[in-house]
Amino acid sequence: MSVPVAITGLGVVSAFGHGVESFWRALTAGESGLRPIDRFPVAPGTAPAAAVPPMVVHDHVRTPVGRRIDRVSLFALAACRLAAQDAGLALGGLPPARTGLVLGSAYGNLEETATFLDRLFARGTANPLLFPNLVMNAPLSYASLELGLTGPGAMISAGEVSGEGAIACGTDLVAERVADVCFAGGADELSEPFHRALDEARRLSRTPHPLDGRADGFALGEGAAVLVLEPLTRARARGARLYATVAPASGFSLPAPVHGWPHDAAALAARLAPMIADADLVVAAANGDRALDALEADACRGRTPAVTAPRGATGSFGSAGALAVATAALAVAHGLLPPTVGHAPPARRGLDVVAGRARRAAVRVAVVDGLARGGACRPIRVEAA
Amino acid sequence: MLAAGLAAGTCGIGSLTRFTHAGRAHVAAEVAESARPLPGRLPPATLRRLSHPDRFALRAAAEACAAAGLDADAGGDVGVYVGTTTGGMRETEEAYRRRSAGEDARFRLSRLLGTPLATAAAAVSQALGLYGPRETVSTACSSSALAVAMAADAVRRGVVPVALAIGTDALCRLTYAGFDALQALDVEPCRPFDRDRQGLSLGEGAAALVLESAAHARARGACPRAVVLGWAATGDAHHPTAPHPAGAGAAAALTGALAAAGVPPDAVAYVNAHGTGTKQNDAVEVEVLRRVFGRRLVRMPVSATKSQLGHCLGAAGAVEAVVTVIALGEGLLPPTVNLRHLDPAWDDLDLVPEPGRRAALDVAVTSSYGFGGHNVSLVLGRASR
Repeated sequence: MSVPVAITGLGVVSAFGHGVESFWRALTAGESGLRPIDRFPVAPGTAPAAAVPPMVVHDHVRTPVGRRIDRVSLFALAACRLAAQDAGLALGGLPPARTGLVLGSAYGNLEETATFLDRLFARGTANPLLFPNLVMNAPLSYASLELGLTGPGAMISAGEVSGEGAIACGTDLVAERVADVCFAGGADELSEPFHRALDEARRLSRTPHPLDGRADGFALGEGAAVLVLEPLTRARARGARLYATVAPASGFSLPAPVHGWPHDAAALAARLAPMIADADLVVAAANGDRALDALEADACRGRTPAVTAPRGATGSFGSAGALAVATAALAVAHGLLPPTVGHAPPARRGLDVVAGRARRAAVRVAVVDGLARGGACRPIRVEAA
Repeated sequence: MLAAGLAAGTCGIGSLTRFTHAGRAHVAAEVAESARPLPGRLPPATLRRLSHPDRFALRAAAEACAAAGLDADAGGDVGVYVGTTTGGMRETEEAYRRRSAGEDARFRLSRLLGTPLATAAAAVSQALGLYGPRETVSTACSSSALAVAMAADAVRRGVVPVALAIGTDALCRLTYAGFDALQALDVEPCRPFDRDRQGLSLGEGAAALVLESAAHARARGACPRAVVLGWAATGDAHHPTAPHPAGAGAAAALTGALAAAGVPPDAVAYVNAHGTGTKQNDAVEVEVLRRVFGRRLVRMPVSATKSQLGHCLGAAGAVEAVVTVIALGEGLLPPTVNLRHLDPAWDDLDLVPEPGRRAALDVAVTSSYGFGGHNVSLVLGRASR
């Protein structure tokens, strides 16, 4: 019944700029996207973050109702447009009712939520113009109306696996032939209240060291990544560029605290083992958070694949998994493994962590392990087409 | 309780007591917090941190599992699919207010970390030991209709033998003040399809459904209550808040769901309407029903559950799916309450005035339409005995 699904386009908005080229160039060059924050006022010594360079609304928005777009939705919309362009698809040429759109976001529009609540608490009045932007599905709403897509859609909000969840859902739509083409990915933004709360709670690091013994916290980032997904046969027939094929494993859950990381690495290892047994690369969720890094290192120990952790360069955000899947697809397509920024050997648990500079190697299978607090796991396998 | 309330035509909408609100409307359908301990095996410290919607979800999930006779520890690979819109927003609002007012020296991170919508699924999964795939979707007011559809699809495709579909949301200042600022709230309990309807009434709560393949149910000797025959999800691609004036996307969802179910429009015996009580939504919905059902609509009972339970936003789709299952199983047509002056534009329709009535039903549809134009229709059938 289900058909193989190809990744034929990538749209990335990241701290490295707008577009997949700038992202991949910087990531494989070992650059860090972390900078002192200048988007909102912060106290001296505040932890840095990986912020997206300023974007211009009218570069991406075409409709009058789209002009009030919020930042998260703008990231998502821009990534969709970039992905379509990258895939060589004219948006006007897509069958609107047969084109899927699945986006993920963990926190949505916290920045404007705070603005809305400030006025509500101070004056008891709500801003009706702001309210439509505060619903979690605003990115889906703006992207669908801007792109004119009326097909099946969903907004996934699954914490740290919001990006993986959206890509898995979008892959299912294409594999099950509910959609001929699907845009799938995720977006999240750096927001003042969230950054301040994490920094006050001392969860943030000034220099994150994913998967190495010095790990003392993570950094926040923001951005969006969107994949164009098509049936492999259709992609071949139109002569599309094939980054890779994508096959989400069915998700699973592990015993875990509701608000924290699972403790049982052996249980995770047992579930991941068959998925990464033949992998050449694991794109890890590790970000320098001690509990997460320890869990992941323990679960992957003793396996052969190389490991890279892009959140060292891009910072962490709810839908960063979409960026991880894009990284996996790029590694497969280019035979290049990006280094883990902030990591210096020796790696935890003897892992083969790509560090320092990018490594050239054939990647037939890359796996994004997809871990979230609360115990949800959503691995995605990307394979050479 | 729900079946009795539906049969009695009870209106659960009363005064808003959850928080102070300075706007026009002051009514809501609030859930009286149960004094019984929360089900499952979460530690006390976790239970204290659970947000209202997470608690609602947990109670509804446990009730559904018990009603289905699912063994408490047989949950290994049961999937959990949740639809919600604001998660722990009320708790976050309070923490944010305290921090802004200087009552707390720091923003309570634990409250902010309770905001991600994924915590309801995590709480249900961890409390009840359900370790299958987990997904949280947020498409505004159609969120949990989509969760039901995704859970049914996972069962149909054999991804999981059993899936739990849950909708949950709690009243919060953000949505209450936001809808009021948009002048979308009726100052009286809402009056769907009434000539004098002025808007919706917000509600809260959770509903859960256990979905499994007919073969799996038979094998374990379970008695099915209803069958999910088909579903479809579409987008309007029109406006962030307003429905498409001709209901194009809503009609496509309804016809798509009927086609997927292999059910001719003539076979539908009951429509559980989205029926919010706003001028525009109800008018567009009736037009959609006329277009899909034609002259057959004149004899087709159509009722609005939101007249009894308010608009539970992300929970509404699952609540109304449960109501439709009860309607099919018990041969009960739940009424549209508060309907005093039928809108002359649809005085030819059967809107099931109070107190409702009995009727044998084989096939029913329930539709949910979300902000941003995300439409979901479900076609449900009576279980054969």
